[in-house]
Amino acid sequence: MTAPEQKQHVSLPKPTLWPIALALGATLIAVGLVTNAKVSWAGLILALAGSVGWFFQVLPHENHEEVPVVPTPVPIATTRRSVERIAAAQVPHRARLPLEIYPISAGIKGGLAGGAAMAVLAMLYGVLSQRSIWYPINLLGAVVYEHVQVSSAQMKAFHIELLLVATALHLTTSILVGLLYGALLPMLPRRPILLGGILAPLVWTGLLYNVLDIIDPILNQRIQWGWFLASQVGFGVVAGIVVLRQVRIPTWQYPLAARAGVEAPGMMDEEEKQ
Amino acid sequence: MAASTDSLPRFAARKNALAVIYEWLGTADHKKIGLMYIVYALVFLVVMGVEAVLMRIQLAHANSSFLSPEVFNRLFTLHGTTGVFFVGMPILFGFGNYLVPLMIGARDMAYPRLNAFSFWMTAFGGLLLYASFFAGNSVAQAGIAPDVGWFAYAPLTATAFSPGHSTDYWNLALLVAGVGSISGGVNFIATILGLRCPGMTLSRMPLLVWMNLVMGGLVLVTISPLTAAQLMLLADRYLGAHFFDPQAGGSVVMWMHFFWIFGHPEVYVLIIPCFAFISEIVPVFSRKAIFGYPAMVAATTSIGFVSLGVWAHHLFTIGMPSYGNAFFVLTTMVVAVPTGIKIFNWLATMWGGRIRFATPMLFAVGFLFQFLIGGLTGIMLATAPFDWQLANSYFVVAHFHYVIVGGILFSIFAAFYYWFPKMTGRLLNETLGKWNFWILLVGFHLTFDTMYVPGLLGMPRRIYTYEAGRGWESWNLITSIGVIFQGVAVLIFVYNMVWSYLRGPLAGNDPWDAWTLEWATTSPPPEYNFAQTPAVRSRRPLWDIKHPEDPDSKYE
Repeated sequence: MTAPEQKQHVSLPKPTLWPIALALGATLIAVGLVTNAKVSWAGLILALAGSVGWFFQVLPHENHEEVPVVPTPVPIATTRRSVERIAAAQVPHRARLPLEIYPISAGIKGGLAGGAAMAVLAMLYGVLSQRSIWYPINLLGAVVYEHVQVSSAQMKAFHIELLLVATALHLTTSILVGLLYGALLPMLPRRPILLGGILAPLVWTGLLYNVLDIIDPILNQRIQWGWFLASQVGFGVVAGIVVLRQVRIPTWQYPLAARAGVEAPGMMDEEEKQ
Repeated sequence: MAASTDSLPRFAARKNALAVIYEWLGTADHKKIGLMYIVYALVFLVVMGVEAVLMRIQLAHANSSFLSPEVFNRLFTLHGTTGVFFVGMPILFGFGNYLVPLMIGARDMAYPRLNAFSFWMTAFGGLLLYASFFAGNSVAQAGIAPDVGWFAYAPLTATAFSPGHSTDYWNLALLVAGVGSISGGVNFIATILGLRCPGMTLSRMPLLVWMNLVMGGLVLVTISPLTAAQLMLLADRYLGAHFFDPQAGGSVVMWMHFFWIFGHPEVYVLIIPCFAFISEIVPVFSRKAIFGYPAMVAATTSIGFVSLGVWAHHLFTIGMPSYGNAFFVLTTMVVAVPTGIKIFNWLATMWGGRIRFATPMLFAVGFLFQFLIGGLTGIMLATAPFDWQLANSYFVVAHFHYVIVGGILFSIFAAFYYWFPKMTGRLLNETLGKWNFWILLVGFHLTFDTMYVPGLLGMPRRIYTYEAGRGWESWNLITSIGVIFQGVAVLIFVYNMVWSYLRGPLAGNDPWDAWTLEWATTSPPPEYNFAQTPAVRSRRPLWDIKHPEDPDSKYE
């Protein structure tokens, strides 16, 4: 950690009273404003003297003193027990976790599959509950419009613009949530389907159930929460299964700079050369 | 942590008293200046503590006449002003001064003489503020100590409402100290950017250094508007200007904006160095490297930037357009994101670690919980409608004391227990330290948990007394009782410092088995810090030396 040369003396700034003189002078200028103008004048003179004195401390050459180096050994060692590391096969002891992750494509595939499952369940709800497959599509598409009361007949009718909006929203959200699943599932090694497919949708549905009345009361009136939960779970389970079926790839165990071969003091290459 | 039996290193021969005085008054050594900042701030900590005790005696019962309203006004003004400008900032500048050059392997700050000037300006500013007590009565017999509150709202500060010089003392003292703070900020930035030892890239700097860099930048940006506003106030009071006189075209709201664009980032000037302490202490006592170093750096810089855009949440009750309200609600809430990242990272550092609850770690854990609650009540107040109900109530007082005492003061205690051995060569007594922690913890919660309730019940801040029967009495009594516990804890701390400095066990160079460069030199360090300039290969250079078979440099 240390450079090889040891100096006998070290140059350090010589102690000087000029900074304190300048500070006191500046303060006295202020003090004069609440006491007597003469104090301010005295402060001004002291501040000027301090400034000039300070200038000569650093100009033309900085005023230094040579401080002798006292050779004092500073042993650096841990006070803790040293331990023998067991070399576990193929797992570095400082591994970046998780050791394996899913590729981005896994998240996209999972999101699309989950989105399809959710769409099927949503349209099933439309047919069974509202006698129209367009009802859930219109409900989703309408979230981008001003909040206006519309009749049930309008909600059951086909609207091309609402179909386009709902499709775009559904696809985007499905892919993004799928990517989230792809990133999170390796971090939840035990019962990923239970956590990602059931518990997470349950928590999300509970959160929306509590706040949707505040965010969008009109939409809230038309939501049937049992079906909503079923479609969320459908998404989670299908997306989870699809993601889990993908092939994992190993995580990079060294930082980008090291992988890129960037040479900087302390990089591992330099270490190995020594 | 085994204490060494060696005697303390001596680097200078015995000197006469005059030489010692000259050595301290004229010193440009960052360690001596740091210690002077710290001792100066500790003196003012006691002073502001006494002021708090007097106010709490007054408020312990309804209809109390222990203090007159005029004295009460002066006490809360000086308590707040002292706490922010002459305790919080100096003590954190002191630790920064002492530690930053050591941690980056430098011999001193970039501008050693400017460093001395910064300290003396701060010191003289504080003395000027308190000189107001001894300077005689004002023209209107209103008492000469400042009584306009620590944020000194216009038009109360106009000569018509504040005759005499009391407000001038406040104004001039902070102007003087502000110059010291700004020059100190410049020095931190120049030192950190320019004097790092070989190998210490920005991505290898200890988090304490990173956070002091952000703090230095914030000081530059935030103190300047306050100084500008104070010069305007000076012009109003001395030259007949009308910057803050609404009857002559001035604006009182302008003062509020100027003050709070300083005042709120100032909270981060105070808390970011405390984050720095926690970021050094938690890993060492958890025996793990900090979790998410890049995220911590990013969160710190984010907090620095975002904090510059939140100031007007202090003005919700003044009246702003709905877009203004919405903007400042959102920006204020956004600060919670990087702050939350920090809290999660500290917890993740502790998670699975081999935690040792020595006194510094106890205070660090206390900080984590209390700062979290202080932050959450801040989020509540960031919601404009909530703030409309509770602004200027004791709820607000409880919130910011939760941050300042529960967060900042606890982390400063953690820092004292952690770095005192480096500064003096002796360990603080652990038993006394634990008494200090637990009594302070009880006192803190008795005082400030209970302070939220009268706020919710409608008790305004800054009232010198109140009538019985409003449901405030019991809460105020408990709050005041809590102050006694806090006072006892501080006395234990002072005793511990004095006793340990004189008779404490020798610490050795590295009592905590730590990893940053300050522990690679003697305790206390020599004038030149390091006989040889260190070179580092990772964020934990001492770990690399202690564990050559498994250095961090292989993985960073």
